[in-house]
Amino acid sequence: MGIKSFARKRAIHLMLVYTGGCNGCDIEIVNSVLSPRFDAEQYKVFLTWNPREADVLVVTGPVTALNKKPLEAIYEAIPDPKIVIAAGGCALMGGVYNNIHGDIPSEEIEGPVDKVIPVDAKVPGCAVRPQDVLSGLVSVLPKLLEQD
Amino acid sequence: MDEKIPNSNVIETEIPLGTVHPAALEPYRLRLFVEDEIVREAEITIGVNHRGVERIMEGLPVEKANALTEKICGICSNSHIWNSCRTGELGLGIEVPERAQFIRVLMSELERLHSHFLYLAHGCEVLSHETFSMRVFYLRETVMELLSMVGGNRVQYGCSVLGGVRPRCDLDDNRIQRIIEGMDTIEAGLTDFVKRFTADNIIMSRITGIGVLPQKQALKLAVTGPSLRATGVPNDLRTRMSEYEPFDFNIITQPDGDVKSNLIVRALESFEAIKIVRQVIDQLPEGKVVNHDWEMVDTDITDSYIEVPRGTLYHSYAIENGKVRHCIIRTPSMANIGAMQYACIGDQVTDAQLAIVQCDPCFTCTDRAIEIIRR
Repeated sequence: MGIKSFARKRAIHLMLVYTGGCNGCDIEIVNSVLSPRFDAEQYKVFLTWNPREADVLVVTGPVTALNKKPLEAIYEAIPDPKIVIAAGGCALMGGVYNNIHGDIPSEEIEGPVDKVIPVDAKVPGCAVRPQDVLSGLVSVLPKLLEQD
Repeated sequence: MDEKIPNSNVIETEIPLGTVHPAALEPYRLRLFVEDEIVREAEITIGVNHRGVERIMEGLPVEKANALTEKICGICSNSHIWNSCRTGELGLGIEVPERAQFIRVLMSELERLHSHFLYLAHGCEVLSHETFSMRVFYLRETVMELLSMVGGNRVQYGCSVLGGVRPRCDLDDNRIQRIIEGMDTIEAGLTDFVKRFTADNIIMSRITGIGVLPQKQALKLAVTGPSLRATGVPNDLRTRMSEYEPFDFNIITQPDGDVKSNLIVRALESFEAIKIVRQVIDQLPEGKVVNHDWEMVDTDITDSYIEVPRGTLYHSYAIENGKVRHCIIRTPSMANIGAMQYACIGDQVTDAQLAIVQCDPCFTCTDRAIEIIRR
């Protein structure tokens, strides 16, 4: 085990990017990490808003047209190894906003998150439950810690 | 101070924030024009979150469109579905059973509690006082549990349908008992929080006189909701809504329009919400919760206003062949954007984010297609 992964094991930093959903998933995730009820800090996971500090990127929302570039830039800014979790129905498949009238794709939406950046774990739900976010997060931690 | 006038001629430096910025949770673009460290003008640009919900709603069956309005906002989702159903009911002339009205009011007040607690927690977090933030987040979980018990989900409940509420949201003795216990917990916790919050000198010196929005300007900008009440205007649409007639509650106002007034208005309004929830439980009438005795007909454009946690919400649509036509939604945060821009003028750059948060922004609600008509 290198010194990097040794250090990372004690402090995993999670960054939340919000790409135009309805705010529900966003608050549930901040809640699950911050609130004392579903305390993610007990698994040594901390919330950060700085991409250069982050190890895990949590993306919510169907990537809207104006949010595509910032999302790509944030993904580039995160140092390797990095993990991306797509959380919520919108991030997985565009949700209710993906199509207008049956199967006509909406021009506002740049499709689900995995069309824009590679995704490692998917957490379903509308809105996601904090318990699901935590289990999704814990399931990807080995992938992050076993590298280098 | 009567009115703050932005002076755009002498601006030296611009500080751009966004669209995605660590200081702001939601994506929006903010430009602060500063002189030394004092903000002289601020400009908020929205449009990043635009998904075109009204466009998707056009041509959908009314029941589906009502369910879709919930996805406009994850904080005040119940208000949107309530007002959308209310619009349809006004147009079609559907009589809503009294018990259903009471359950809708109950859900609305629980939602007001959770929205105001989120505001208080987020405000304390922006103040960098994490302990208070954690305390309010912990208290908020009690409300979320009650909401998920009645509604079936933590965020999107889908409580209202055309003609009443879903049978799933009916209240039995067990649920009523849990709501009563929850209200006692919340009241005790909130009383404790407000006592400690107002007695804390560090917090008070940080928030008094910061982000002042003058009353005259608030009226000029058509600010709604608690942000307006925090400038001393006793304007609450709930006093004029037929749903709230059986209940007795006070309109909370604060005189100053600064961050302190805003935080205290929300905290005191939460007590009023607890009072209304208790009255709903006491006076809950018997009977059915949904009225199926109506026919789908074509209607003209109908509109409906209700008071939601952030202000006045407006929905309007017409029905043609059972489908929605000509849908317009105006959310309270739309009106409060002006307040955010003016509130941070004259303060330090470090307080600008606080002055924006004091107006309770929700940029997903706000990103509607708008047309500005100058007169």
